[in-house]
Amino acid sequence: MSTFTSPPTDGKIRTANRTMNGTMNATTNGPRHGARNATTAQTTRRPRLSGMTWLVWRQHRAAFWTMLAATVVSVAWIVYQRGQMTDFLDAYGFPAKNLDDAEKEFEPYIGAFSSVTTGLTAIPVILGVLLGAPLLAGDLENGTAKLIAAQSVSRNRWLATKLALTGLVVTVTTVTLSAVFAWWWSPIKLHYVDIDWTSREFFNTTGPVPVALSLLSVFGGVLIGVIVRRTLAAMVVTLGFTVALQMVWGYFKLSLGDIVTATTKPVSPGTPITFPSSVPRTAHAFDASYVSGSGKLFDLTTCTDTPAEEATTSCMKKADIVGASIDYIPISQMSSMQWFGASILFALTAGIVAFLFFWGRKRLV
Amino acid sequence: MSDVMYAGEPALEAHGLGMRYRRGWALRDCTFRLPAGRVCGLVGPNGAGKTTLLNIAAHVLKPTQGSLSLFGEAPGSVESGRRTAFLAQEKPLFRRFTVAETLRLGRELNPGWDQRAAEDIVRAGNVPFHAKIGTLSGGQRTRVAVALAFGKRPDLLLLDEPMSDLDPVVRHELMGTLLAEAGERGTTVVMSTHVLAELENVCDFLVVVSGGGVRLAGDVDDLMTVHTLITGVREGEGLPAALGYHTLVEARTSGRQFTALVRPEGPVTGPWEVAAPSMEELLLAYLRSPDAPPLITPTAQVQGQASGTGTVAA
Repeated sequence: MSTFTSPPTDGKIRTANRTMNGTMNATTNGPRHGARNATTAQTTRRPRLSGMTWLVWRQHRAAFWTMLAATVVSVAWIVYQRGQMTDFLDAYGFPAKNLDDAEKEFEPYIGAFSSVTTGLTAIPVILGVLLGAPLLAGDLENGTAKLIAAQSVSRNRWLATKLALTGLVVTVTTVTLSAVFAWWWSPIKLHYVDIDWTSREFFNTTGPVPVALSLLSVFGGVLIGVIVRRTLAAMVVTLGFTVALQMVWGYFKLSLGDIVTATTKPVSPGTPITFPSSVPRTAHAFDASYVSGSGKLFDLTTCTDTPAEEATTSCMKKADIVGASIDYIPISQMSSMQWFGASILFALTAGIVAFLFFWGRKRLV
Repeated sequence: MSDVMYAGEPALEAHGLGMRYRRGWALRDCTFRLPAGRVCGLVGPNGAGKTTLLNIAAHVLKPTQGSLSLFGEAPGSVESGRRTAFLAQEKPLFRRFTVAETLRLGRELNPGWDQRAAEDIVRAGNVPFHAKIGTLSGGQRTRVAVALAFGKRPDLLLLDEPMSDLDPVVRHELMGTLLAEAGERGTTVVMSTHVLAELENVCDFLVVVSGGGVRLAGDVDDLMTVHTLITGVREGEGLPAALGYHTLVEARTSGRQFTALVRPEGPVTGPWEVAAPSMEELLLAYLRSPDAPPLITPTAQVQGQASGTGTVAA
């Protein structure tokens, strides 16, 4: 794809040098008037988009610039917030001093996280609805797809440029936000236990997950737009799709990890049961349970019918409970789970893109 | 583009072309040929399949049956894409683009772009280059769309109801530009319309589609010479028996008079007034009588097309 070229000097495009938007070629025409000079300087300094890339950028420039500007603002805000947090941590004496004791004093800094994560977790939905759904549906609805089809470039080129440029802007935006957000979280990631790393606020906003969720939402929206062929209807359906995607993802994300079970050493039945101490503090723990001599699991409500200690002890003895176990996923699995999940999402996205090209060949405009 | 065209090279050739939508056939068994360098009027009532035919040629639709070729190439091939320009009925343009940006679109996406030709058409209508398309009137928008199609310097220009929202003065002016340019460069033009008055003095070739099929196709001069308009006094019910000898296209009676458009199979003799039909009379007759035997003159026949029913020697 020809992305950046200097103004055309090809002999075939004889009249290209006298277009009305002042794209004078300084080397061939030379400077003329003051006003012209300004534009000349500007165009030669900055590489000019050309061909299909120019068209796609021009058509969607409002959306693209909004995304990039919002990213810059968010990054600035995160950098500021991280500065505030590290200032506090330094003054507090972290990491020598345990963060658990900070409690109330540290709360505003955690609050800053939650306001940002609200926005970050909504990005796939917002991009899917506002960028993905209208991307092709708009052209099909307004007939501009026919306009493009009437030009000399191939339809695949149009489709490829649209999807590539959109994918690029989405990727740049989400990769940046993901990296900067993870950088904000990193000082306290392994030390602050009140943040559950499996929650959507942190699992879906770091690593490859926001990129994968956003790309699937956006290209899913594009596909919906192509099928529905009406911008507004496509946006509504895409809203449903992206919300459903978030729910399905949230439902399945824990099954991406390998559950680790920590079990205490068996004691003789009837003695008080202690819980495993080898579970890392930052791990995502599932329910704990009692273990009997035969290895059977019992829930923690076993023998809680009577408040009397005597009766409880004898009940525990009768049930042959010799220990306790806890299922958990350690935070060390976070990255591999994110990549595993993201690769599934990327594969689905690739399938959608392949289908879009297939559609481009079958149903033309 | 400066390819030497051998005489009668077809610009467009349809072969058993059919298109079926969910609601039924829009076009069926369409076979005709359009020689290069002609200005062809594509005529038919609303819903006759004109737009479908043009959309197939412009590679917007894929036919259900048969095939269509442009200068011997399939629509959608690089070569035919470069040589063909298409102005869709709704004249789609990007509403947020300025006129200048719209022309830049043409320049960026077409290798043979002629900026001067496109600018001249826009300038002739006093359309400001910095105005957004969305703020233009319908006529101005059509002008920009025409400029975009023209700037491509096509060998075949497909226009779907191009002048429908222009006032008569602008229509006349734009048509003049179009014909002058086409004549100068030998551009083949296919122009669909249901306004018959648009065609007089513009077209030298006609294709009439109605009910999804081709009813009439050929050189205007040929078509005019093989038809005769007969007016006479009615005797009893129906037409005079002597007329049955000729191929009847349409007959109408009013009071004691009858008017019949026929394709004479020999000398027309009788106590009638015999005249050459005007183009409008000819077209109206065919449009009003879908059951009339179709006529495809030899210039409009594709090679190997059966020259039996519905064809005559010009």
